[in-house]
Amino acid sequence: MDGSSSGIQEPFDLIRLSLSERVFVKLRGDREMTGILHAYDGHMNLILSDVEETIMIVNEGEQATVSVAKRKMDMLFVRGDGVILVSPPSRT
Amino acid sequence: MDESPPPPPDDAPDTQTPPPPRTIHTGSPTDFLKGVVGKKVIVRLNSGVDYRGVLSCLDGYMNIALEQTEEHVEGNVTNRYGDAFIRGNNVLYISAAEEL
Repeated sequence: MDGSSSGIQEPFDLIRLSLSERVFVKLRGDREMTGILHAYDGHMNLILSDVEETIMIVNEGEQATVSVAKRKMDMLFVRGDGVILVSPPSRT
Repeated sequence: MDESPPPPPDDAPDTQTPPPPRTIHTGSPTDFLKGVVGKKVIVRLNSGVDYRGVLSCLDGYMNIALEQTEEHVEGNVTNRYGDAFIRGNNVLYISAAEEL
């Protein structure tokens, strides 16, 4: 019906199909994370486990450089309004 | 008994008005969005980042599911995703990247 071959009727189907899978999440504030998706809601609030967060820090100065900080968390609640993009593992 | 020539009809060809665009799309924004599902699109976010891919579907919040997605920042490809969910509040525009 919608021209998509993957049987997705609405965008949230993409997220539903990613439950219990490792997902990539892009967040506001130059943050990205990957984690196992346990739950979500209509706000895109997320519950992730086994999370690695990557934070891009821009160092102002003569030559602006970007440094990367990483940290790990066992269990995390992500507030939906910070979410920009969620990418499930590639389905083949 | 004024016999002055009538003014030219309004639709007479002249050089003042440009020719109409080759294709004229009429319809609502919703019609456009229905038309681009399954097509290649460019989604620009408020941050200026572009996502190019095939539009799988979208909802009333303008949440978007894209396939074969490329992330473009300042003209460079910075990421590729097989599928991507974009939260609607970040969307600035959706542009058709192929003929409708």
